[in-house]
Order: sequence, then structure tokens, then C-alpha cells
Amino acid sequence: MQLVRNWFNKISIERIQLELMNTAYGSGHVFLSALDPRCMILWYLFFAIAPWFLSNMIVLAGLFLLMIATTVLSRVSPFIIFVLCLGLVGQVGWLFILSLFFGGDIASALPLLKLTLKLSIVSLASITVFSGMDPERISDGLLALGMPAAFSFSLSYGYRILPVLFEEFRSVLLSYRLRGRAPASPGFLYARLGAYYLKMLVVAFFPLMLATAKRSRTTVEALETRGFSFGMKNPKSRQLKLSHLKVTRRDIAFLSGTAAYAALLFWIGAAYPLAI
Amino acid sequence: MKSTARTYTLTSSQKMMIFVLSMSLYGLSNMFTELIPKLQLGPLELSVEYFAFIPLTLCILFHPFYAAVGAALGEVIFGELMLGQFGGLGELEKFLTFSLAMYIAGRMVSDPRNRMQVGAAAIVGVGIHQLCSTLVDIGKVWIGVEEFEAVPGLAESVVLIEGVSFLNTMIVSGTLFALLPTLYLVPRLYGKIEPLLGIRPREATTRYESVKVWTPKLMIGGVILALLAFGAESLSETDWNFGEWDSGLADRLGSGAIWLSIAIAAVIAVVIILIMRARKKRSGNDGSAETVPYA
Amino acid sequence: MPNSDKQDIPAIEIRGVSFAYPGSEISVLQEASLTLKRGTFAAIAGGNGSGKSTLCKLFNGLIPNYYSGDFEGTVHVCGVPAEGHTVAQLSRMVGYVYQDFENQLVRPTVFDEACFAPLNYGLSDYRLMASKALDLCGLSDLRDRYVWELSGGQKHLLALAGALSLEPEVLIVDEPVAQLDPQHARQVYEVLRRLNRDHGKTVIVIEHHADFIAEYCHEVCLMESGRVLWQRPTAEALNSLDDLDRLGIQPPEVTRAAAVLREMDNARTQSDPRSSLPDRRSAGRHAAQRLPITMDEAVAHFTTFMQSGNGNLHPSPARIPASDPDHAGLSGSSSNEVIRLQDASLHYRALRRARHQVLHALNLTLFEGERIALVGNNGAGKSSLLKLVAGVARPQSGSVTVLGQDTRSVSLEQLSSGVTLVFQNPEDMFIEDSVEAEVSHCLRRRAYPNIEASVANMLRAFRLEELRQRDARLLSGGQQRRVSLAIGAAIRPEIMLLDEPTANLDLSTREELLGALEELSEHVRTVVIATHDMQLVSRWATRVVVMHQGEVVGDGTPDEIFADRELTRRAGIAPTQTAQLSADLGIRPLCRTPEELAKRIAERMWGSPNERADRPSGNLTHKEAEEHAARSQLV
Repeated sequence: MQLVRNWFNKISIERIQLELMNTAYGSGHVFLSALDPRCMILWYLFFAIAPWFLSNMIVLAGLFLLMIATTVLSRVSPFIIFVLCLGLVGQVGWLFILSLFFGGDIASALPLLKLTLKLSIVSLASITVFSGMDPERISDGLLALGMPAAFSFSLSYGYRILPVLFEEFRSVLLSYRLRGRAPASPGFLYARLGAYYLKMLVVAFFPLMLATAKRSRTTVEALETRGFSFGMKNPKSRQLKLSHLKVTRRDIAFLSGTAAYAALLFWIGAAYPLAI
Repeated sequence: MKSTARTYTLTSSQKMMIFVLSMSLYGLSNMFTELIPKLQLGPLELSVEYFAFIPLTLCILFHPFYAAVGAALGEVIFGELMLGQFGGLGELEKFLTFSLAMYIAGRMVSDPRNRMQVGAAAIVGVGIHQLCSTLVDIGKVWIGVEEFEAVPGLAESVVLIEGVSFLNTMIVSGTLFALLPTLYLVPRLYGKIEPLLGIRPREATTRYESVKVWTPKLMIGGVILALLAFGAESLSETDWNFGEWDSGLADRLGSGAIWLSIAIAAVIAVVIILIMRARKKRSGNDGSAETVPYA
Repeated sequence: MPNSDKQDIPAIEIRGVSFAYPGSEISVLQEASLTLKRGTFAAIAGGNGSGKSTLCKLFNGLIPNYYSGDFEGTVHVCGVPAEGHTVAQLSRMVGYVYQDFENQLVRPTVFDEACFAPLNYGLSDYRLMASKALDLCGLSDLRDRYVWELSGGQKHLLALAGALSLEPEVLIVDEPVAQLDPQHARQVYEVLRRLNRDHGKTVIVIEHHADFIAEYCHEVCLMESGRVLWQRPTAEALNSLDDLDRLGIQPPEVTRAAAVLREMDNARTQSDPRSSLPDRRSAGRHAAQRLPITMDEAVAHFTTFMQSGNGNLHPSPARIPASDPDHAGLSGSSSNEVIRLQDASLHYRALRRARHQVLHALNLTLFEGERIALVGNNGAGKSSLLKLVAGVARPQSGSVTVLGQDTRSVSLEQLSSGVTLVFQNPEDMFIEDSVEAEVSHCLRRRAYPNIEASVANMLRAFRLEELRQRDARLLSGGQQRRVSLAIGAAIRPEIMLLDEPTANLDLSTREELLGALEELSEHVRTVVIATHDMQLVSRWATRVVVMHQGEVVGDGTPDEIFADRELTRRAGIAPTQTAQLSADLGIRPLCRTPEELAKRIAERMWGSPNERADRPSGNLTHKEAEEHAARSQLV
């Protein structure tokens, strides 16, 4: 209850905006973002796929440790980690409790723990790569690996337009509040106040849609005058955009280091097949 | 203009506008829905999954393909990448199911002024998407836990949790945040938002030119996917799940199984990269990848 | 690409172009023809809907290549026919900066934005080109910043740099002043002048602010209903008062003052047989001579003018009253206090846990019945102050008391029944789909009595009756502004806060706004306006609060404030040309309108017996000044 009250008091749209902007733009130039994005994505692909085919607890635990290390290196905001933990505990924890009802026992916890490990490895890998890296670099990496140019453009455009959208949304919400009436009492479990804000959130998209429609027209027209559609069909443009991507010794060291570590894990795993 | 007067060919810039519009709006809403607190009642989670009304409305009012893909990409970019929650490959599945569901919903409506059609489309759109993601979620646990069948009660729990969450999403997100707002917005925006983009409002007789997504390459991909799905289905029928298969191998081949699975993972990774490479080359050759909105 | 030695080929050549947007019956352009030489700095002026922007979209081929409407005529850009060339090809030669330039910026950081176009064209020295463009626009220091960290003026310059990066021959800038405050607009114009003078670029601006045209442009093309009416050198163009007046373009204030004075002079010399021969001669000379269009010209013009009739100059120190009688109530002896800020401080959190202090322990008391103008340059804290008063932001320390309530103790919804904030951008206030619904939204939500009657009343008061069913977003700028005022006034607040109400308005709309403000005073007890518009300040306000870097640095009547050169310089406010000119000519108190200035000069030179009889103080009251203003702007 207190939590809900705090939420309503503390959370203002400005606050949310700030938090989100911190998350979105705050990722500094940490160690991992200096690596070549293509290498990072390949690295990620391995760790996103491999765990599903593994069942050795030692290997999984080892990979998990590696992921923790890289996550720490990439200095992800604690907020993201928190969300991740919440999701994992929620999903798997309830699975476990429910399975008890259906005749499971404590033994069923182990496979589920393994599932949690797998999920964590995959999630942490994606957090390491995609949160630690500058989004521009991600999009360059994806472009280099063959994603359509529209995607990489949209990503950087998203970064550009987010603050603008937020400003607009804020003023629309403000208009609703300045001319609306909040419920006199917050209601049971703050339900009435919550409903008031939720409804406002939905209704606010009506003016926002119209305003955004107006904006996208100028944007698309301006894109045309700046040779965007021309560039999309121009292989030279793509080549130039990606010319700054270079695989350096640091990348090779990183990839081979992880590979060596993984190999070591597999070797240990093979020696002690703890496949519970 | 094609020979038939009814076909409405959008210019590439109009497609781009729809795409950008859908992407930014749905992306923004996604950031909020990520933050709206979830009410946990035990395993049951009362939450606002998404503001499906935004892509639904846009798919109904405009060419559904560009609105749907734009919205799906908006979610990936704003809701995932920018918040640092990008799930990598997992997003691919979301992206596909969501844009497919929204696209189908948009195609269902021939006249945006027909409230019955709009309402039905909203429900069906959310329904398709939820069904797909429920199946995928069940599949994840099934693949992730080797002795899926061996753990007593697990299958029931998974089905129960996913089933309840499906129902919950249908009721909360489907009704409150898809059906009702869509019914409210579509008639109000109809004829108002289109001129802002320089697009003629959609009439009952309007037929958009078909999106050329059904290219041979996509057909083949679809067939392969369907085969895979069928294969998985039959595997489950024969009591043969990946878990057993895996542990069986481990027994027989010992440590080799691990190396084998690593090799498989590596092969899959390489194949994916090759496919991406090939696609890139092809799109470079014919100048316009059909799935790219700015063709 | 065109060679630079083909100087005789015009930058832009348009022959008999007619155009209608797709799906529209009305031709926006009707047989428009225009030739612009290379290296010119041209202004394209005209009323709303005269086809200015449409004309400029011909120059880079957006019309007819991008908007496929009904098109006739020919367009040549630097000798290249637009027909058969794509927008992308033509854009190499023509850079375009939009009026809503913010939507033109598509990349997250400054340098990326500057690289965008050259990268799209696959030019391998794109980094160099981008750096050069940033350098030209004075943005080199900001190259690693995010676009959203920039101020409005910097964003405009960035849009300019983005267009410049391709090294186009021609630059088109659509209404640079519309979305910028005067200081930033001047900055942009200085850059444009440099590009034109030092780098030989052809610059075309769409502009209806005559001050800027007078100062920066070489020639003016006047548009009227889809045609180019004429194309004249700036001085001549701004002297074509009849045409400008008809199309709602306000000539510079100094020009207006000179015009009024000339009329008076002519009338006097013709009617007054006693006037001396030199006077007559000088009158004839003045009639033939063109009117001044810039401050420097004006000072010279009026000084010679006044010297020419030197024989009977009336320097009357008695006319400088100790205090303006119109503002006697200012000291607040009789008025009630409605807003009190006590040591109010406000800071915003910025990215990376940084803090941004916008208001420093502010103390300010505002009284009932005052017309308060809040002035100061961008970032001075004007909008933040309004937000504090409206309760949108709460002070982190100190207190804000509005109508006896501490803003921290009441909810925004409650507070807003007594205080209304009208946003700078009216569109941000539009949440319904018709004007009527906009105005009645709040009344219905809050269950006011007699909704029908008060809405009808408001619509009548703000002349919106015919627009009641229209979508407010699709109205013109001035109409939108009226709707936003009606929305605010409908709540029947006791305090009304307006943020930049005259931004982006043309002459006729500004006059409408002044009328609407009069209307407001019948409903609202206290009005506070944050503005850059010194004409508005001098014509409307009774009290001016000057803000600078989050502090109040000046507080007084418009006269007092404008007379304080040190203060205006420090706070970055530019007094009106009229005020400046009257100060330069030694006329005190400072005049509010060009008409008043002309009259006062006339009084000084020739005396004005009947005036003196009417008004012992000899000072034009505020009311009279406004009567003048309410009449025609031009004589």
C-alpha cells in the first residue's frame, strides 16, 4: 500500500523521462563499447544460442560467472539488472511453486534452477552487448551484418526523437491535468487515481497522434532533401558508414579470451559430467 | 496508379511517414508500459502489457503493413534497445508475431467507419499475438528444461501460468487497452490524420496495392518454418523431447555430447550470419528489399 | 555540377509556374515567375497562404518531383532544369532549412547530423565537409553534443549546417525568426550574411519581419496569391508601403514613423500658408526621398529632418514628467497581492545526475490588476517562473503563494481553477477535435454551471463562432492563438499566465491578439506575459519584470526599463526601434508606437497649439497611444 502511495508521489513524468534518458544516453564510453560491434554481436549470438543446448551444471555456472563479469564491465545501470532479476524470479519462481501443487517436490527445483541459469546467461549476454554498447554502434554492427539500412536509421532516429516526443507528451498530459478534475479521493488501493492517470495516458495519444503525424511529414520531406532515399540505394554510402568499423587486437584478444575460457569450462564439464 | 482505379498506391515517402509515425508513437507508449507497475496476485500478474490500440488504430487507418512493421520496430528500439532490455534473438520472435498480428488486424477492416469490423479486428489482433507468444513461452520452458516430462507438475504449471496470463492479457490489454481505445480513436481520427500525411482516407472500396513481401525467398522461409514447427509437434507426439534426446546422447557419448551441442550452436550461428550476408547482398542487388519500408 | 565561372547563369529561374497540391482544387501558385541572381540575399515575403513556402519547394524539386500535383511551367536551378532531375540531385545545389527545423534533425549528435547528407551521397570526405559546415555555423565546439542538449538557436544553426554540408550553391531558410527569439534569430542572420558575403552563397529567406529584411537582405520578392507581385531592392521594397500594408507585412517601425511624419509635414505645408519657404522645399525633398529602413538611417534621417525645420524647435524639458501618471497605481498601495514568491528556487535534474539551477531564491510580489510583462533572454527563467506560479513545477526551496494558497499544498487540478497557463505553442493545448470541445472541455470536466452560455460567450468574445466545429490544429497561427486564449479564459481564472503569446504571429494576427488581451482584462484580474516582443511590452504592459540568469534584475514601468541602457544590454533585451529612436533623438518619456513618435517629433518641430491646450501635461497617455495602434498601422 505504502509502495503504491510512494509511487504516485515520487513518480512524475519528468522523473520518468530523466530516468529513461539516463538509461538511453547515459551509457558512457566504457571498456566494452570500444570493441568492434560486429564481434560483439557474434559473441552474443554464441551465448544466446549455446546455453539452450547445454545441460552441464558446471559449464552453465561457469558461463554465468563470465556473464556477470562482462555485465559488471559494461557498467549497466542497476535499474536494468533489477528489472531482469524481477523477471527471472517471477517467471521461474512461480513455475516452481505451482509445480509443487501439481505433485512436484523439491527435486523439481533443480531443473528449474538450470532453466533460470540458462535464461540468465542469455539475458546477461544481451545486456552486456546491447546495453553496454553505444546504440549507434549496435546499429552499425547490425548494418554490417546485413540488417536493412532502414533499421539502423530508425534506431538513431529513435534516439533523436525521444526527447521531442517526451516533451510533447508532457505538455499534452499537462493540458489534460490543467483542464481536468482529479478524483476527490484516491479510492481503494489508489485504484481510482490510478485509473484516472491510466485513462489520461491512453487518451493523450489522440492529440499526440495528430501532432506526430504533422511532424513526420516534415521529417520525411527533409530526409528526401538530404539524400536519404538516395543513400539507401547507394552501396558507397553504406560502405562509408561502416568504414570506421575495424577489428582490432583488442577485439581478437577479447574473443579468444572468452573462447579459451569457454573451452576450459567444457573441458572441466567433460571431466566432471555433473549432468544432474 | 495501376490500371484499376481502386488500387491506392502509396508513394515511398508516404510509406515512410506511416512507418515513422507508427514507430515513434508505439515506441513511446512502450516505454510507459514498461514502467507501469504490475499488480502481482500470486502467479497471476495484472499488468498493462502494451498499448495495442496504437498500432491497431494506425493499421486500420493506414496501410497495415507499414504501420505494423513500424510499431514492431518501435517496440524493439524504444522499449528494448533504449532501455537496455534488448533480448537479442528473443526479440525477433516478438517482432514477427506482433507485426503479423497487427497486419492481419489491419487487413480485416475494409471500412474504418464500420465499428463492428474495427472491434473485431482489435480483438483478433491481440488474440493472434497473445496466442503466438503463449505458445513460444511454453516452448521455451519445454526446450530449456531437459527432463520436462520428468518434473512432475511442470507441464501443468506451465500451461496454467501461460494460459492464465493469456486470458489476463486478453482481458486487460485486449479490452481496456486495445478494444475500447481503438473504438474510440478510429472514428475520431478517421479523415483527420490522413490529410496531415497527405494521404487519402481509406474507403470501403480502397484496395492497397499488395505488399510484395510474398517473394519466393519468404515463401521458402515460411515453408521451412512450418516444417520445423510440424517436426517439433510430431517430436512431442512421439514422446521424444529434446531433453531426453540430449541426455541420452550424453550417456552414450559422454563428454562428446557437449562438444556436439557446441558445434550445433556454432553451426547455427554461422548459418544465421550467412543468411544475413546473403540477404544483404541480394537487397544490394535488386536495390530495394521489399520488407524495407522505404523501398 | 555547375561551374563557378558561369556567373551569369541565374541561381534560380522560374517561368510561369502554376501548381496545385494533389487532391486540391486550388492552385497555390499561379503563373509565378522569378529570377534570382547568384550571390543575392533575397527575402520572399507575403501574407499567410500566399504560396511562399510552396514557391521555395520548387527550388529543390520537392515540387513537382515529390509532391505530384498539377504542375505547369519551368524551373531552372543553377542552369539545370528541375524537370528530369530528382530531389536528391537538386539538393546537392540547394540546401533547405525548414520553419519547423527541429523535425529536420534526424541524428542524435551534432556531428552525426552534419555528416548525414554527405554520407548519404557517399562522399568520402564527409568528415571534412561536416566539420567545415559546423565551423561555418560556429558549432565546432558542440560537435559531440546531443541534439536535444542544444538551444533553439543552436538547433537552427545545426539544421543550417546540415544543409551546408553538401556545399550547395543556394540556401533556402524558411522563416528563421518564427521559432526563435530575437537574439538567436540575429545570430542565424549573421551566419547567413557571412555565408552570402564571404562564401558567395545565394541565400533566400522566407521572411516577413521587416527589421531583419532591412538589415540583411539585398532584395525582396513580394508574393500575392500565388504570384510574384514584384521583386525590388530592399530599400525600395520596404518603401512600397501600400503593397506591404495590403498584404499584412509590417514595415520597420522607423519607416512607419518617418511615413507618418512625412504625411504630417505634407499636410502642414499644404494647409499652412505661413510656413516658410525652406520648409516647403524640405517637404518636397522629403517626399521624393525614400524613407529610412534601418536604425542608422533613421537617426540620420530624423536628425536632418529636425534640423531642416530648426528655426522653431521646441525643446521642452517640462514634458518629461517625474512619473508616468498612467502607471501611478504601480506602487501597489491600493491593490491586493495575488502572487508572492519568497526565496523560491528551482532546479531541474539533468542527465548524469547533474543539476541545473534555473531560479535563484526569487522574491517577487505581483498585485491585482497589473499587466505584467516578463522579459529577458532565453534561459533567463521566464517560463520556469510561469510554471512555478501555475503549480506545474514546485519550488525546491522557498515558497510560492498564489491566491493565498501555497502551491505545494494543493494539487495541480485544484490550483488551475484560479490560475491558467497558456502555453507558448497553442497546439500543445489542443486535446479535443473541435474548437468548441476545446473550450468546453474543462467546464464539463469540472461541472461548471451554465456551460452552454459561457462557451457561447467565449466563442463570441474571441471571434471563434464560425470556427467552432473546426479542428483547432488545422487553423492558422493567429486563430490557434485565439483558441488557446479562449480555452484559458473559459475557466474564468483570476490569474492568467501567457508564454510568448506573440511568437510566430504576423502583423494582423498580432493586432488581433492585442484585441484579445483587452477582452481578457474584462474577465481576468491579473495577467502575466512572458515575451520577447518589446512592441507588445511597450504597448500593453504596466509593469515589466526583467529576468537574467534566474534572477530578477529589473522591475519597473516600460519606460524606466527601456531607458536603462545598461539593464537592457545586460539582460539581452532589445527595446523597440521606436523606443531606441526616441532615446537617440532625446525624446522622453520614450514613445510606444511609431505614430506617437512621429507626432511628438512634429510637436517639437512645429509646436502643436491645440494639443497643448487639450492636455496640460503634454504627454500622450497610454490610452491614446493604443487608439492610434488600434487604427491603421500605416497612414
